[in-house]
Amino acid sequence: MFFIRAGWEVKDCMKIKFSGVRKVFKPDIVALNNINLFIEKGEFVYIIGTTGSGKSTLLRMITREALPTKGVVYVGDVNLRRMRPGDIPYYRRDVGLVAQDFKLIQHLTVFENVCFVMEAMSIPPKMAEYRASRVIEQVGLSRRVNMRPPQLSGGEQQRLAIARALANSPSLLIADEPTGNLDVRTSDDIMKLLMGVNAAGVTVVMSTHNQHIVDTYRRRVIELEAGVIVRDEFEGSYDSL
Amino acid sequence: MTAFRYILRDTGRLLMRHWVLGALTLVTAAVMMWILGLTTLFSLNIQNMLRRLENELMVQVYVKADGNAEQVAAAVRKIPSVASMQLISPEDALSKLQLRMGSQARVLDIVGENPLPWSVEVRVKNAASVPGLVRDLMAMSEVDDVVYSGLAVERVSTLSRVAFKTAFAMFILSIMITSLVLYNTIHISLYSRREEIGIMFLIGATRGYISTPFVLEGTALAFLGSVIATVGIMSAYFPGIRLLQNSLPFLNFVGDAVVLRQFSLLLVGFGATLGWICSYIAVVRFMRAAMKPL
Repeated sequence: MFFIRAGWEVKDCMKIKFSGVRKVFKPDIVALNNINLFIEKGEFVYIIGTTGSGKSTLLRMITREALPTKGVVYVGDVNLRRMRPGDIPYYRRDVGLVAQDFKLIQHLTVFENVCFVMEAMSIPPKMAEYRASRVIEQVGLSRRVNMRPPQLSGGEQQRLAIARALANSPSLLIADEPTGNLDVRTSDDIMKLLMGVNAAGVTVVMSTHNQHIVDTYRRRVIELEAGVIVRDEFEGSYDSL
Repeated sequence: MTAFRYILRDTGRLLMRHWVLGALTLVTAAVMMWILGLTTLFSLNIQNMLRRLENELMVQVYVKADGNAEQVAAAVRKIPSVASMQLISPEDALSKLQLRMGSQARVLDIVGENPLPWSVEVRVKNAASVPGLVRDLMAMSEVDDVVYSGLAVERVSTLSRVAFKTAFAMFILSIMITSLVLYNTIHISLYSRREEIGIMFLIGATRGYISTPFVLEGTALAFLGSVIATVGIMSAYFPGIRLLQNSLPFLNFVGDAVVLRQFSLLLVGFGATLGWICSYIAVVRFMRAAMKPL
C-alpha cells in the first residue's frame, strides 16, 4: 500500500516512468537528454556511467529533489511535477534513500537515527522502537545501537543508512553509489543486504561505479553517457560486450 | 503526540546547543524590551500629567464694569470647546479671595468698596483649544481681560508631543533591533543544522515538523527576554515614582496596580508575538529555499 495522504492512494505502486525527460542546469549544462525509461515494480536496476553522466540527477528526479526541464516523470500514476509541496513528505516516506555519504544525523545514536524516521511520521514510540530494533538486527548492527555514526566504520554507517531507509518499509529504494567509499568485502555485504531487500519485493534503483558488483550480482543495467541512455540490458554486465 | 514530544524535546535541544548565542539573544531582547517598556511608561506618565492639568485648567474671564455679565456667560456657553462655566458675582469673588488670603484678608478692608468685577470661570475640554478660546473671548466687546495658565499648559503640551515622538522613535528602534537579533539567531540556528534539515526533508518529515522547534526557540527567547525586562521595569518603577513623588508632590504618576499589571502582560505578550513573527519569517524563508527542487 502506498499512501501519499489520506484519500490519495497510488495503485501499481513504484512503477517508474521517464518520458522524454531533459534536464538542463543553468547556464546550459545538459545533465539528461531525452530519457525514456520504464522500471517495473520489484525490479533491481543499476544505473552506471562515468562521473557527470547524469546518474545522480536521474535518481534525484525520482526522489523529487530535481524536476525535469522538459518531459515527465511518473511514479505509479503520479506525475511528480504536479505533486503539491505538502504531499512531497508523504511521497518520500515510501521511498528509502541510501547515499554514498550516508546522510546520517551525527549526534544521534544508531537506534535514534532509525527511530527518528518513524518519529517524523508520528508512529507511536513503542511501535517505532520495535521496528527500529528489527531493522537494526536485519542489517547486523545490534551490538552498535548506542553508538553514534562517527564511532562506526564506513560499512557500518552504510548499514545504518540502509536500516533507516528500510524503517518505513518503503516500496522503492534509491541507492546513490552506496558502495562508493567501501572496500570489496564490505561492498559485498551491502549488496547482499540490498539483494535481500529486493527479494522482499522492494524496487531498487542503484547508481554505481563498481564493476565488480555489477558483474557479480547480475541485474538490469542502464548505462548513461553525457545524459543519454546508451545501453539498457537485462542481466547486463558493467562493460558492454 | 509523538510529534509534539519531539517538537518540545528539539526546542530544548536547540536552546541548549547554541546556548551562548541564545544567551546573547536573550540579553539583547531583555534590554530592548526594557527600553521599549520604559519609553512607553514615560509616555503614559506624561499623558497622565497632561490630562490632569487639562482637567484643572481654568480660564478666568473678567467682564467690564459697564458690561453685561449674563450676556458674556451666554456667549461663552455657546463655544464648543467649553466643558463647563460658572458666573461669579463680585461678592462671591471677594469672599473667595478673603478665604484664600486667610489672616491677611484684613488688607482688603483698606481698599474699602469691593473692587472685583463680574467674572466667568470657564473649564475647557482640552488644553489645545485654550489659545483659540482666549482669542474668541478677547474679541468680545464686554470682556475686560482674560487670565489663564496657558503658558504652562502649552509647555506641557509641547513636552508631551516631543516625549511621544521620542518614545515612538525608541519604540520602533527597539522593535527593529530585537527583530533583527531574533531573526539572525534563528537563521544561524537553521544554518547550523542545514544538513540535518536536508536529511529530514529526504526521509519525509513535514515542513511543520521541522520548522516548529525553530519558531518555538525564537518565541521562547523573546518571551523570556520580555519577562526579564518587565520584572526589571516593575522592580525599579515603584521605588522610582515613590522617590519622585516625595520630592515633586505636585506631579501625578501612573501608579494604579491594575493598569501596571495590564501593561506588564501587554509587554510580555508583545515580546512573545514579536519573537514568533521574526522566527516564523526566518524559518519560512529558509525552508522555501531548502525545499526548492533543482
